[in-house]
Amino acid sequence: MNLNLKWRWAALKNGFQDATAYRLEFLFEVLGSALVPAAIQWVLWYAMFKVGGATEVAGMTYADLLQYTWISLMFTQIRGGDHDFELQEMIRSGGLSTYLLRPCGVVEFVWLRGVAPKLFIAGVGLVVGMIIGTAYGLSPVHLAVGMIFAVLGNIIHYQLSASLASVAFWWEEGYSLLMVKNMLVSLLSGELLPLTLFPKNWQWVWENTPFYLFVFAPVQIAQGKWSASQITSHLGIACFWLVIGWSLIRMSWGLGIRRYQSLGG
Amino acid sequence: MTLDQTPQSKPIIQVRNVRRSFRSPKKEEGLKGTLKLLVKPEVQEHEALKGVSFDIEAGSFIGLIGANGAGKTTLLKILSGLIPPTSGEAVVLGQDPFKRSMNFRHSIALVMGQKAQLWWDLPAVDAFELLKAIYDIPEDTYRERLNTLAELLDVKRLLNTQIRRLSLGERMKMELIGALIHWPKVIFLDEPTIGLDVLAAHKLREFLREFNRREKATIILTSHNMDDIERLCSRVLIIKQGQLIFDGEPKKLKQSDECQLRVRLVETPSIEELTPLLGLSPTAIAFTGADSDSPTKADDEDTEARSIRMSLRRNQITSTLQSLMSKYTLVDMAIEEQSLEKVIQRLYESES
Repeated sequence: MNLNLKWRWAALKNGFQDATAYRLEFLFEVLGSALVPAAIQWVLWYAMFKVGGATEVAGMTYADLLQYTWISLMFTQIRGGDHDFELQEMIRSGGLSTYLLRPCGVVEFVWLRGVAPKLFIAGVGLVVGMIIGTAYGLSPVHLAVGMIFAVLGNIIHYQLSASLASVAFWWEEGYSLLMVKNMLVSLLSGELLPLTLFPKNWQWVWENTPFYLFVFAPVQIAQGKWSASQITSHLGIACFWLVIGWSLIRMSWGLGIRRYQSLGG
Repeated sequence: MTLDQTPQSKPIIQVRNVRRSFRSPKKEEGLKGTLKLLVKPEVQEHEALKGVSFDIEAGSFIGLIGANGAGKTTLLKILSGLIPPTSGEAVVLGQDPFKRSMNFRHSIALVMGQKAQLWWDLPAVDAFELLKAIYDIPEDTYRERLNTLAELLDVKRLLNTQIRRLSLGERMKMELIGALIHWPKVIFLDEPTIGLDVLAAHKLREFLREFNRREKATIILTSHNMDDIERLCSRVLIIKQGQLIFDGEPKKLKQSDECQLRVRLVETPSIEELTPLLGLSPTAIAFTGADSDSPTKADDEDTEARSIRMSLRRNQITSTLQSLMSKYTLVDMAIEEQSLEKVIQRLYESES
């Protein structure tokens, strides 16, 4: 393994330069992906509380749910998962060949290039969140810890995605798996709805997947709903999934690369 | 390593009986074929390399040629470590390429003319900066190399231009800089002059010759352009249907008794008239000029446009001339050395 930090930093820089080569496109992508789900949620909460007359849903008021929506926007931006299709296409089309001969790990390299703009957004989002959040009684420390969780979530998400993408070494039509994964992530990460809205007897579903660590957990921390001991215990769970993800990548790519056909050229 | 390595001559690349086959789904045409593929997929196996063996000495410039699908690119992929051979053994720089050790990756480069390795939306210099970090090249060395390469390839002024805004030739030059910035010992070039104009191809060839001479790098080049092979390579490997059918100097290929007979006639016979008369295949006869296959206007055209070129063996010259003169009036004639392209075309066609 190449432990050189220089290439990692250079890959981050390069990924950021690439993502922001077209500044307006970058800006619209960020705003678009943030505002659409926020608008959907707001319409839903408005219908339930203002039109339907509800005062509380699963222990959350209208104000709580609005706050959840706005905070989740910040963390949804960095939840990642955009590069699994890219990896799969590289395997299918032979594009992986370019990276395999460089003295660095291809899976890590693709992640670093992809995460660079996300980290930038995370930084900006955190500063903005801290400025606005203080006006609404949110603790900057909680927001920062929430952001650390969101970044850990990004890593876990990428690890699982990269492992799933490696299915393309065996099965060319593995696209569908990634689609299913993305649907599950949308539903179980908390980016569309607070997971506490799940029926009591269905809570185990999200509790036993790592997806809640991507958005729901950071929002809970940022809102100050989790105690220090709860945060520590969820950090332990995140570390557990990190190890699982790392092992899955090692295994699936180690086996898959022997079947790589390097098509084209 | 089980390959022979005598102390006096250590080949940098050793290939022994390398075979490689690929499996792919077989689809029959139409909707029926699509449905059949869903229900009962069939797999077909194709053997791309059928027991290839050779050695390559350090510092050589080797041409690897063959028709489309002959197995050239597969061989380069095995030698560069992208795919393993199905059987047989390949050793490059004393290592199994497919293990892709860090040391090995630092020592080789693969350039595929049809595959972009740089990032489309970034200027080349940004990509080179990243490669500098990946290969851990000291700043001074990097600057010196970039300067040398950019000057040799005449692209210094384009280093800060987005890759997608460059012409094909300029992009290819940038790809080459990206591939060579770490000063590899072994370079695999897969059709680097594909799609380039005459001038760009010439510049690229000059650069490769110079790099090989200066740095003593071993270069293996595949190309369909015989100019590339003839001007650069000291040795040629010809692959046909996965088998090595020639290994030697390019001039040896031309030393066969093949030659080219060029004649000008007062009349302008068609190819259909000439082939039975001379007993040659249509591909062995060519008319020089724009409407070369069916020259009809003889008198008022450029005399060169009425030249007929025939590829034949030396012992066929007399009988061919006799046959021609029995029916037509000869204006002049010349016997020329066969072009490498024609010799190789013959090799591709033979025994197929």
